[in-house]
Amino acid sequence: MIELKNVTKEFKIGAKDKVTALKDINLHVGKGETVLLKGPSGSGKSTILSLIAALNKPTSGEVIVDGKRVSKLADNFTALFRRENIGFIFQRYNLIPTLSAKENVIVPLIPSNPDPIKLEKRLQELFSSFSLDSKMGVIVKNLSGGEQQRVAIMRSLINNPTIIIADEPTANLDKKLSLEFIEILRKLKSSENSIVIASHDPLFFDLDFIDRQIDIQNGEIQCY
Amino acid sequence: MQNKINRFLLDFSVLSIFRRGSKNIFIFFVFTLLIFLLSSILFISNSIKSELDTTLNELPDITVQRLQAGRAINMPLSRVDRLLAIEGVKAVIPRVWGYYYFANAGVNFSVVGIDSFEDQYRDLYSKLCDKFDFDRLKKDSGMLVGVGVKKILQNSFYGDYFNFVKPDGGLTKIKIDGVFKGDTKLESNDIILLTSQKAREIFGMNKNEAVDFVVKVANPTEIPNIARKITTLYPDSRVVTKEDLSISYQNLFDYKSGLFLALFVISAFTFFMIIYDKASGISSDEKREIGILKAVGWKIDDILKEKFYEAFILSFASFVTALCLSLFYVYFLNAPLLKNIFIGYSTLKPAFDLPFAFDFQTNAIIFFLTVPIYIAATIIPSWRVASMDADEVMR
Repeated sequence: MIELKNVTKEFKIGAKDKVTALKDINLHVGKGETVLLKGPSGSGKSTILSLIAALNKPTSGEVIVDGKRVSKLADNFTALFRRENIGFIFQRYNLIPTLSAKENVIVPLIPSNPDPIKLEKRLQELFSSFSLDSKMGVIVKNLSGGEQQRVAIMRSLINNPTIIIADEPTANLDKKLSLEFIEILRKLKSSENSIVIASHDPLFFDLDFIDRQIDIQNGEIQCY
Repeated sequence: MQNKINRFLLDFSVLSIFRRGSKNIFIFFVFTLLIFLLSSILFISNSIKSELDTTLNELPDITVQRLQAGRAINMPLSRVDRLLAIEGVKAVIPRVWGYYYFANAGVNFSVVGIDSFEDQYRDLYSKLCDKFDFDRLKKDSGMLVGVGVKKILQNSFYGDYFNFVKPDGGLTKIKIDGVFKGDTKLESNDIILLTSQKAREIFGMNKNEAVDFVVKVANPTEIPNIARKITTLYPDSRVVTKEDLSISYQNLFDYKSGLFLALFVISAFTFFMIIYDKASGISSDEKREIGILKAVGWKIDDILKEKFYEAFILSFASFVTALCLSLFYVYFLNAPLLKNIFIGYSTLKPAFDLPFAFDFQTNAIIFFLTVPIYIAATIIPSWRVASMDADEVMR
């Protein structure tokens, strides 16, 4: 389902200097598989996630998702690819702070001009399953950290993605909220969804629903 | 289905305008103010231009004055017959007119004396007055006055009549028979119209003299020839043709519109400075938002479409508001302050209304000088950001 072939990613710093974030990475994530990328901050976990979601392009190598070479797609096609396949839960949620919870959740669907009735039904389903029915109209900057994260998760699920990506999802949460999030992830796991999580939070290390843990150090995969 | 307007995208754009409320309110006010200034200047200019065109159409074919030592002096009426004898001359009308200084208010009135046989005046003044009855004017030895004159006289407690002080110090009491329509002509406001006999009395003029002659010519192409013949016949005369007058009126208008042009340039310059400022930068919050939109699956053209709606709604709302405000300011409030730049030379400060002259072309120019430029200034920096990798933008 997801395949990274000899992927290297370099970032330019200033005019001449560059930093190698990933070195010759080879990775495969199967359909329905839940994979944890672990490693210290700056090891390259988030870069792998952004390459899978086509938010960025590798300096060399290929990223293939569902048979599509997403690393070679033009900008508009990568956007379409994300809209149709990816649900990304960002570390800092990346919500639009001045929009309400409901407005944030529907943002990914806006360009496709969805059917209002079906959309409303889907929103009701999501908000009640995340126990946020009463907060639909609240501006997200007025929500608590846990509530904001649940809004971010709902936004990532609104398009029924086949790939769910979570980047350091518990970094800004206390233990109670982190455990709540883990329960949500457990419910999301299905035979249809692939889930890729990047975290160095020990809470993830012994979870029964995680199929594989991959250790990344200095931009290289250490062990599967 | 593809062409259907995306209501969600429109809603999002409207919401975005309100979300960045304070910034957009500021832009709306500045933009509205600038368009208001631009359109007011053009409306006033158009309005006065149309007034000028009307005035030029009513100018006499030839005006003949007599000069002595380079100054205009009165014309003897005995010259009328010799001028009428020139081939091509249809009519020669002696005019009795001048300025009467009213010391109480420190203003000049334009006093015009007419005779019943002067059809030209009958037509002209009939337009200015609801019920022009020359016979009554003659019978009562009264006068018709402009709105401005009436107001000034009232302020000095003259209700039904006015006492003119003659050059010999004596008084001539003249009854006010009527008032010109206030909403007509710029020229009518400071005018006092009476019989030429009374005008001569006020100015202390000999009954065999006129201030100047108006010469009517049957064939307009003959005007320069006839003007030359008059100059030859009376070398002490100054002959002014309709074209000469047009040029001097036009020069005055051009000078005044030059001032307007300066105002126009200043407001346009301010507008472009604001636009440049907007175009050259986009806030970090807006950048991040574009990054988020890309990250959740918006294509570059979705983002640009949203920015287009946002800019169009804001700039078009400003444009319409400014246009309505300037129509109200120019044609309802009569353009206080700005109008005075044009007509400020008059000592009477006439209260004439700017004639309504809505020119579609002018409005189109204002539209194309403002709305599309603002839209471009909004879209270009957004496009620059949207073209970057979403990951990079969000960082």
